[in-house]
Amino acid sequence: MLAESFANPGSAEGSVYFERHIRPIFVHHCYQCHSEEEGEQKGGLLLDRASGWLDGGDSGKAVIPGDLDGSLLISAVRREDEDSAMPPKKALPANLVKTLEQWVQRGAPGPADDMGETDFSLLGDQEHLFGVAEEHWAFKALEKQEPPKSADPFWNRTRTDRFVRKKHLENGVEPAPLARPRTLVRRLHYDLVGLPPTPEEVDAFVEDPRAMPVRVRAVVDDLLERPAFGEHWARMWLDVARYADTDNVYRFDTQTPYYYPYAFAFRNYVIAAFNEDKPVDQFIREQLAADHLDLPENHRDHAALGFLAVGPHHRGNAKNDYIDDMIDVTTRGFMGVTVSCARCHDHKFEPIPTADYYSLYGVFASVERPNPWEFDKFPRVKGFDGSKQQQADYEEERAALKPPKERKGSNLPQGEVKFAQVDLSQLHISHDGAPVRAMVVKEAKKPMIEPVVFERGDAGMKGEKLKRHFLSVLDPSKKEFNRKNSGRLDLARHITREDNPLTARVFVNRVWGELLGSHLVGTPSDFGLQGERPTHPELLDDLAWQFMHEQDWSLKKLVRSIVDSRTYQLRSDVSAEDALGVAESIAPDVENRWLWRGHRQPLSIEQLRDSVLKVAGTLEEQLYGRSVDLWADEYSHRRGVYGFVNRFNLDPTLRAFNFPSPNQTQATRPDSMVPQQALFLMNSPIVVDQARSLVNSAEFSSATSNEERISWLFRQVYQRPPHPVETKRIGVFLEKQVKNEADAWPLVAQSLLMSNEFIYLD
Amino acid sequence: MPSRREFLQRSGFGIGAVAASGILGGLGELDADEAESSPLSVRQPQFAPKAKRVIHLFMNGGPSQFDTFYRKPVLEKFHGKTVPKKFTEGLQRTQRNRAGTAFVTPFEWKRYGKSGLEISELFKHTAQHADDLCVVRSMVSEIANHSPGMFMMNCGHSTLPRPSLGSWVLYGLGTESESLPGYVVLLPQGSPTGQSRNWTSAFLPGVFQGTHIETQKEELIPNLTRDDVDPRDQRSQVALTRFLNNRHRNLRPTDGRLESRIHSMELAFRMQSSATDAFDVSSEPEDIQEMYGRTPHGRMMLTARRLAERGVRYVQTYHGNGQPWDQHSGILTAHKRNAEQTDQPIAALLTDLKRLGMLDETLVIWSGEMGRTPTIQTGQKNPEKVGRDHHVDGFTLWMAGGGVKGGFEYGATDELGFQPTENPVHVHDLHATILHLLGFDHKQLTYRYSGRDFRLTDVHGNVVHDIIA
Repeated sequence: MLAESFANPGSAEGSVYFERHIRPIFVHHCYQCHSEEEGEQKGGLLLDRASGWLDGGDSGKAVIPGDLDGSLLISAVRREDEDSAMPPKKALPANLVKTLEQWVQRGAPGPADDMGETDFSLLGDQEHLFGVAEEHWAFKALEKQEPPKSADPFWNRTRTDRFVRKKHLENGVEPAPLARPRTLVRRLHYDLVGLPPTPEEVDAFVEDPRAMPVRVRAVVDDLLERPAFGEHWARMWLDVARYADTDNVYRFDTQTPYYYPYAFAFRNYVIAAFNEDKPVDQFIREQLAADHLDLPENHRDHAALGFLAVGPHHRGNAKNDYIDDMIDVTTRGFMGVTVSCARCHDHKFEPIPTADYYSLYGVFASVERPNPWEFDKFPRVKGFDGSKQQQADYEEERAALKPPKERKGSNLPQGEVKFAQVDLSQLHISHDGAPVRAMVVKEAKKPMIEPVVFERGDAGMKGEKLKRHFLSVLDPSKKEFNRKNSGRLDLARHITREDNPLTARVFVNRVWGELLGSHLVGTPSDFGLQGERPTHPELLDDLAWQFMHEQDWSLKKLVRSIVDSRTYQLRSDVSAEDALGVAESIAPDVENRWLWRGHRQPLSIEQLRDSVLKVAGTLEEQLYGRSVDLWADEYSHRRGVYGFVNRFNLDPTLRAFNFPSPNQTQATRPDSMVPQQALFLMNSPIVVDQARSLVNSAEFSSATSNEERISWLFRQVYQRPPHPVETKRIGVFLEKQVKNEADAWPLVAQSLLMSNEFIYLD
Repeated sequence: MPSRREFLQRSGFGIGAVAASGILGGLGELDADEAESSPLSVRQPQFAPKAKRVIHLFMNGGPSQFDTFYRKPVLEKFHGKTVPKKFTEGLQRTQRNRAGTAFVTPFEWKRYGKSGLEISELFKHTAQHADDLCVVRSMVSEIANHSPGMFMMNCGHSTLPRPSLGSWVLYGLGTESESLPGYVVLLPQGSPTGQSRNWTSAFLPGVFQGTHIETQKEELIPNLTRDDVDPRDQRSQVALTRFLNNRHRNLRPTDGRLESRIHSMELAFRMQSSATDAFDVSSEPEDIQEMYGRTPHGRMMLTARRLAERGVRYVQTYHGNGQPWDQHSGILTAHKRNAEQTDQPIAALLTDLKRLGMLDETLVIWSGEMGRTPTIQTGQKNPEKVGRDHHVDGFTLWMAGGGVKGGFEYGATDELGFQPTENPVHVHDLHATILHLLGFDHKQLTYRYSGRDFRLTDVHGNVVHDIIA
């Protein structure tokens, strides 16, 4: 006989019943997978609160009070259906099943102090997440900021400084003094063009009698116009764009990578865009939809589509993977939202329903990605051509290859065709005289205008059919994209609309991080609910607002406004002895969150390599060109940005120096240190050779004393004179420690190149 | 630059746990900075570990359980006959078609050791260690194909790019080797299917990625040495650099990274000789070289032992290029050839680890990415040509040492071997168990990325306590 129903399931009597009879069953048999305490809610079901079983999980309501047959929990413990039988491994004893049945019949009372909704139970609840998103800083509209006034005239000069000064005062930190002129000019050179200044440039800056802001402006004007500016800043963007010259797999038949012979055109495009100060909103639109922007047929900027085309997963039925990659690089790269987490289910932590993911899936599934070795499928473009001589040379080399006729009608064995393809790819990827084509994507013949959701990310389980639209958190109207094409242009326009709250914020934060050595938002590709909050929200918004409305999306203006600030120009080498006031502030803010001092940064591998060549006087400063081998014994003397990036097998030197994996978009490079870095400095051909170049130079040879030689080396490598104790110590090395005298001077020069002073920028 | 705060936030250890376990606890600011900037330094696991390191012998391609470590006598009864439907009804759709004609193993089997494990002649040398083997016969993976299987086994997900097990282990424990990479992947000839994605660190910092070394190549670690300078001169040069660096650091006393880099250079200097030594198997006594065999696989196993001995945390070896164990046809000849290449070296490795007292704390894993069907896929008419198809519902692997029970069989499949009937072990469970043996709760070893705490086992995995000694 059944006991009576509880009149009120929330009554004290009911909760005692729950605690005494039901909770123990749940604890022993269910909580491992269905409780907050265990951190598990499999199938979205929680059994530690009434709302858990009443609202139920992914399969529906677990308990309908009084309704045994309608309650999934009961059919699960009765093991009516093998697939949903619970607990999964071992059936509940019959008496316990009976107890649960009674509980349901009696109205399924719950605990007295019911947990109700908690952060844990709300995981993945999109309605809740959209509510949170309304209050989330990064999704809020960007508003014009009024910088606070500073009483200190030194801190009242630029908008940036006024925001930063306010935070100093709020957090009780005192700023360090300005960097010394020699430090500052080195910092400006490295940050703007990625190379050290010459000793003469340092002298000119140090000796310039004008006021510091005037001197800085003059140097910045000069540096912004150098071609090296675009080369340096391109590298930042190439990390985001997961640039590489090959696919992530290689060919078993030929034992070579799958080459991307025209990826380099994308790199050149980025360099050109930054050098020519292309407005960044246009830069974004071109990368997603250059083919929809009425560019002339052979225009160089078609290469912008490399942003989509140079990603991984080209080979091997990996269409869903490369679409995922395109979604990921687009959403994280431009807007700092992690859409690709919604591939298998609604995003657990962000307001991104699966429908948004498959909307974008429909966009990128409407893109055709030509085979990288079918050269003719890529348009010829003008603007990055090699010299006449190089082109003639290329024709000769190509003729010597005796390539097979085009595949159609060729009677060559298949294997030979493959080898010929590889030879040709290698020629195209490396020869500056080869024809220049843009690595593009194209519109598919028929766009996928109504994509379907893949349940749990499984392409075999087709779910709901959708219309394609922008992220619903940013466009609640979910206006459908153009049904006549892939919709990339619509997507690009949504991303670059002035009322998109993310795009400008994300971009200025990246630039700030490059210049200051730490970001205002510590997760530059994640501005969502899970990302870090900005340390200086008003400053970030001001930079973004100015960038869009006053600077017309100009990278150069943005860079100028940041480096003009006192904040940028602070000393990093503050120590107890030279700034007592500062020393006191070290305790509360060691990490420099409040920007009271400069950040000391290690050079990137590209900067380090370029610097070695530059101070030795052997850097080849030539703009554009094909990818080159940076690390072979016969290494190129070109800048690191032109290095060949093998995605399948990243060069060990790059790997050792934290070069980011080009398999995914990358926001930052870690600052880690492994002994292979030191081995590179000690033993690599390039460092060893360039140390020799230094001492073989005419200037070094014409010096007449050890003091003069040492002075010259210090000036060349560090752009400063040696301290007497350094000169003395090197004297000891020369006299006493070296067995083989011929080696002595190259070893000294190399010692400077190996040192921390060379590797760390103050 | 990742701050210490960020390092701690991202680590699943949490600040409290870190301080308690002594990872950074009690250190001054400067020392803490140093620890932060050396993500490879040794860290204590969450609880007392059974194993300190792993050697994973990967038989890429998917060896047949029915011809190696799991004998199915009932197959004899069905041999050459069509398998009754009832055995295949519950299988995934793609696997259901794999019914067909049953095929009993063509190899000789014997019982070995006190435990009496039954092992086929293919692994007759390894079988001498039967009492150390923990054979898991109910392994379950997800997609019956090579790349997804490899990614599942190595990275815990069949399709999405995720950090590999070795990367997680290195991230959790750091490395004891001061002069070698902490996670080494040995490739005797070419790369397995899926290539470097099998040892990727994905979103974990790049220092945790596997360093793959092609053991047939000359230069194993780039820039390891230079031969144009007298080593004593180079030592003097490193000393001179140290002088310059000390002076530089003294003027910037709050930056712990500068001191770390000074140490790093001295470590590199030591590594010049130690790494050369680690890969130089010719320095081993003749009888040891002989025991492993002077073949690519013999040298590879010997190298694996030398690396483990020197504190490398995770060593993985692959059988060869592509998927050499993938016998859709020709089990008889090709499985035999594969086994001949590896059996003796593996047995030698086990002998040698035991001899050196290392087996107890070294977890050796022998596995493919999946197993094979009990039925014939091709070559019905010619026993020489018979091959078996892929199978993920109940395949076999073994482990040895590192805290697992020896001479032990765990789990079972039905009479014909189509589906697990007893104690199924999903790859997630295997991963949870391996991490457990190394001293980690797989749910607590997490890393924050893209707005979420990731772990190797995602939201799955149960530790298989029954196989732990």
